[in-house]
Amino acid sequence: MEQQTTQVLLIEDNPGDADLVRLRLVESNSPVNVNCVTRLSEGLDSLTRVTPSVVLLDLNLPDSHGAETFRRVMEHAPNVPVVVLSGQDDEALAIKAVHQGVQDYLIKGNISSKHLERSIRYAVERQALLRALEMTQKQQLDFKNQFLSHVSHELRPPLTCIHQYVTLLLDGLAGAVAPDQADHLKTVLKSVNQLHAMIRDLLEATRAESGKMRIEPRCIALGELIQQTVAMMRPMADEKKVGLEIAVDQRLPLVHADPDRVLEVLINLVDNGIKFTPSDGAVMVQARVVDADPSSVYISVTDTGRGISPESKALIFERLYQDADAVDNNRSGLGLGLFICREIVRLHEGRIWVSSEPGQGSTFTFTLPAYSLAKLLAPVVTNNHRLRTSFVLVRVELTPLLVPPRGNWKQTWQQCLEILRRCIYLDKDLVLPAMGTSGSAETFFVVASTDMPRSGIMPARIREQLERVPDLKAKCSLTIMAAPIELPSNISGQTFSSQSLEQQVEALASHVTGMITSSMERKQLRPEKPIQDSN
Amino acid sequence: MQKAKILVVDDDPDLVRAMRLRLRANNYDVATASDGYGAIASAQKERPALIILDLGLPVGDGFVVLERLQNSDTLSGVPVIVLSARDPQSNEERALKAGASAFFQKPADNDELMNAIRVSLSPGPRQPAAWPS
Repeated sequence: MEQQTTQVLLIEDNPGDADLVRLRLVESNSPVNVNCVTRLSEGLDSLTRVTPSVVLLDLNLPDSHGAETFRRVMEHAPNVPVVVLSGQDDEALAIKAVHQGVQDYLIKGNISSKHLERSIRYAVERQALLRALEMTQKQQLDFKNQFLSHVSHELRPPLTCIHQYVTLLLDGLAGAVAPDQADHLKTVLKSVNQLHAMIRDLLEATRAESGKMRIEPRCIALGELIQQTVAMMRPMADEKKVGLEIAVDQRLPLVHADPDRVLEVLINLVDNGIKFTPSDGAVMVQARVVDADPSSVYISVTDTGRGISPESKALIFERLYQDADAVDNNRSGLGLGLFICREIVRLHEGRIWVSSEPGQGSTFTFTLPAYSLAKLLAPVVTNNHRLRTSFVLVRVELTPLLVPPRGNWKQTWQQCLEILRRCIYLDKDLVLPAMGTSGSAETFFVVASTDMPRSGIMPARIREQLERVPDLKAKCSLTIMAAPIELPSNISGQTFSSQSLEQQVEALASHVTGMITSSMERKQLRPEKPIQDSN
Repeated sequence: MQKAKILVVDDDPDLVRAMRLRLRANNYDVATASDGYGAIASAQKERPALIILDLGLPVGDGFVVLERLQNSDTLSGVPVIVLSARDPQSNEERALKAGASAFFQKPADNDELMNAIRVSLSPGPRQPAAWPS
């Protein structure tokens, strides 16, 4: 059998060592081709151009030392086997390298040609096996995901059919149904709905695992979303006599997230909380900012249930995990809910975790990225390195006349947003990103700088422009409100005007956030008393 | 008063039968078709006030039907509600862009579906109310 030439990339800065290795390679019987470079940068450069059979790597090079050297080579060419050339005195480091994925190491001065040849051959073989294994694993995962996705899709039509006929019977459309028959049918319908939810979860989890889950992040006022969650879950909590409370930080920033997805996470966590809390217990939803991490918002759901054991805590976010005690008393889940929550939070670049003591209840917490209004505002609220003098906040709400909205509602409101963007002064007014809610109404906010008091002009202009949108009146009602933004007179005990421009913009942004948040919650807009920080 | 006619397009005869029963009970007339070609032919003949359309159909899928309807002088104004087992993430936006007025995933909530039908059939406010200031 003809032997293939082994292509060796030797990265070694000591000419003596390099010559010795080269000599040993030539001495061996198999055909070999050596490319020798003396710096890591040259080695990495060569790796981008050609893929050798193996890299022989000295760890101490002019431009890189120690562990850093093999890490960078492996990062650069993860599929090429690496054999480390180590001195007598740093064998410990070489062993560490092997633990981290290097195929082998050789002690310089101790290298025979047989030894070298064997080391290279095994390194190449092992790497090939490893790659084949990874490939098989990936194929298996792909196959499993395709299979699950296919099966869940195929389950839907027959389920739809059952759903249709059960509801026909229940609604009396196929003749009168006796009360106990109706009860039986309701039981069937409940199971159909459970099955439907499971199929949905299965598809969602499969999508998450194959990286196909998508989010559409928008600017959202979290307080409103939490209220909505609680309103939706209230009947379930009341039925079980579990209290449901909200505690939202007054000065919560807006967040950048997909409102439907966040609602999904909140509902999932609250639903779990209620399920695992006995009667007369309580579930509390909180949202707050943590001083040490101002770029995130922390949302947590706390229950007074039986808590989670330390063993379960480590596994609870994994696919198909079910708490052993939980399985018997409800059969409504596949153990995918928390896995889906974790994936949704991860897509938002947030974190999710649980803290719990058995018997003491649990707290699930997740983070979402805060929306930096200050960054958006800075260019328009400042002029010549000074804050402009007065501002007005305009709220524009489009409520579809019919629910669900007629026609392509997204297209309609995006058209309005476009028009809004065109009817402002780019250098001193700002249309904030459309506020995401889970309802069908769309709300936009405009921060306008008013050098002279013209707070009445802006809303009038917006109305005039929007009324030109064809058919808009037939599709939705339009509400425009405006309120002046009152700046605080001092921040942190110092007069406002003595603060740096950056701090002034921050204070303005935080104040505007407060106005937007309470406006989203109360569907109103009014000037708020600026919060005076007197510390 | 004349009943509004709804064309139901789906290749599952059991589902069509159930839809017919429900729609009739809600005081609509019902016409049916089981493939893309039949949908267009039936729409031209029956002149429905609204079409309920499945996406996965033989002989021209739902998107082909939507496109044909949009390009037809006589049918482009007929509201279409898509009722499909397909994933909304990859199909809802596409269907709405193609001219559908709503997207429901199977199995759909009957009340919501009937509400969407009522909304789509109700005439728009002819004399739009003045917007409050």
